[in-house]
Amino acid sequence: MKNRKTKNYELKPIFLERMSSLLGKEMQTYLDVLDKPLQNSIRCSTLKISPEELLTRLNSKGWEVSQPFKLYPEIMTIKNELSPGELGRSMEHLLGYYYIQEIASMLPVLALKPRPDELVLDLTAAPGSKTTQIAATMNNKGIIIANDSNLGRLKILASNMERCGVANSILVKKDGIYLCKKLKEFGFQFDKILVDAPCSGEGTLRSSDATAKMWNPKTIKNLSKLQKGLLASAIEILKPGGEAVYSTCTHAPEENEGVIDFVLKKFGNNVSIEKISLPVKCRPGIGKWLDHDYDKNIEKSCRIYPQDNDTEGFFIAKMKRKR
Amino acid sequence: MSFIKILNPREKAEIEKALNAQFGIENVPGLIIKRGEERLFLFSGDISENEIRKLEAIVPIERVGFYFAKIIPGENIIRLSIEGSQALSSQIKTNIFELDEKQTEEWMKGHELPIKTGKHGFLIMKHGEDFLGTGKASEEKIGNFIPKNRRLKERQGGNNFKQN
Repeated sequence: MKNRKTKNYELKPIFLERMSSLLGKEMQTYLDVLDKPLQNSIRCSTLKISPEELLTRLNSKGWEVSQPFKLYPEIMTIKNELSPGELGRSMEHLLGYYYIQEIASMLPVLALKPRPDELVLDLTAAPGSKTTQIAATMNNKGIIIANDSNLGRLKILASNMERCGVANSILVKKDGIYLCKKLKEFGFQFDKILVDAPCSGEGTLRSSDATAKMWNPKTIKNLSKLQKGLLASAIEILKPGGEAVYSTCTHAPEENEGVIDFVLKKFGNNVSIEKISLPVKCRPGIGKWLDHDYDKNIEKSCRIYPQDNDTEGFFIAKMKRKR
Repeated sequence: MSFIKILNPREKAEIEKALNAQFGIENVPGLIIKRGEERLFLFSGDISENEIRKLEAIVPIERVGFYFAKIIPGENIIRLSIEGSQALSSQIKTNIFELDEKQTEEWMKGHELPIKTGKHGFLIMKHGEDFLGTGKASEEKIGNFIPKNRRLKERQGGNNFKQN
């Protein structure tokens, strides 16, 4: 396959070959959607304002706002064209009434289903879109321990959590694997853990030129190792019956099914993969990639392609610790 | 040495007393955490102090809850942040200054307002249902404390407060 230039970036031939292996005849549909701008989506910060009140305010500004999911009125899309940066400089944004977040990025927390009485760990929390979503779902009750290993990103996380009025969180800065090890030593066990892992970002090509420039197979291999370490460490500190959601914004099977397959083998009967129900089109996790055959149950995980829901791409899997 | 101090009931009551004298606030829900001598954080998490200390032994805690107020040194008075004024909005009864639309835009741009309120000291800034933090009234103006990252950006030829 020839190099393809889309928007301002060139997709590397090996990337195109890999995606073609995943998508087959749908490859062209996928490539076409990469050229289409992402829809503007926001999530109402329900700790500060109700979706109904926010909707009224935004409509009065002349924004055509819709709520695509009946069960999740806090998720909103803006249909009319906005000027660059307009979403981020509105009064409502500055006052913390909404968070600018791509719809696919909201799905891991919908899968996690945190409850107000739970102890939740967000292992790789910055910049805070999912942490603030978890806090809103928990209605500022229970506890979130939000971690990130990078100081610059942690400051952004703190700023976003403050703007959204997150009061039930403790913010810490540590390497994720080390943190889990220490939490285990000190007897901490969690009801829910989100591992929204660092990834090669293939799902973000519609919004990030840098991803296409930086993409290379070696990075995928290195990230896969890190991701396995993060998820395995997280599962070690789940309560019996506790659940971890693993997510990435990439399509690379080494960073998705490969990671889940690793932990299923590592923990054997102590861990299961759970079926998840999301309000978008999900495709099952794949069973085979290159020379790897993955655990059959991995089909319970969820692949989200940009062309399926007019979003970015994501992968989501939910694990449950049995004992 | 611990990075954070969880105020005990007596210390919390002192903060509530000051907030009551200034704004009529009677009760701050949740724990108040103090960082340094001035910054106060509001924490609603369901965790004991022992557990927080246990966590602190594992990893330095960067932040607990959200920044909601600052104690003005030596004056025993308190300035609420935007989030502080929003979180306690239903209890705020006195020293409220209602802004009109134009003033709100200027306020959110971080500008001081050349308004003679006839008052001295901290006022809660409000526009409609929106609580916008605290200003400091003096003879001729209201001083602004909106942090840079929360300010409306200056734009040419546009009103970014209401974009009808």
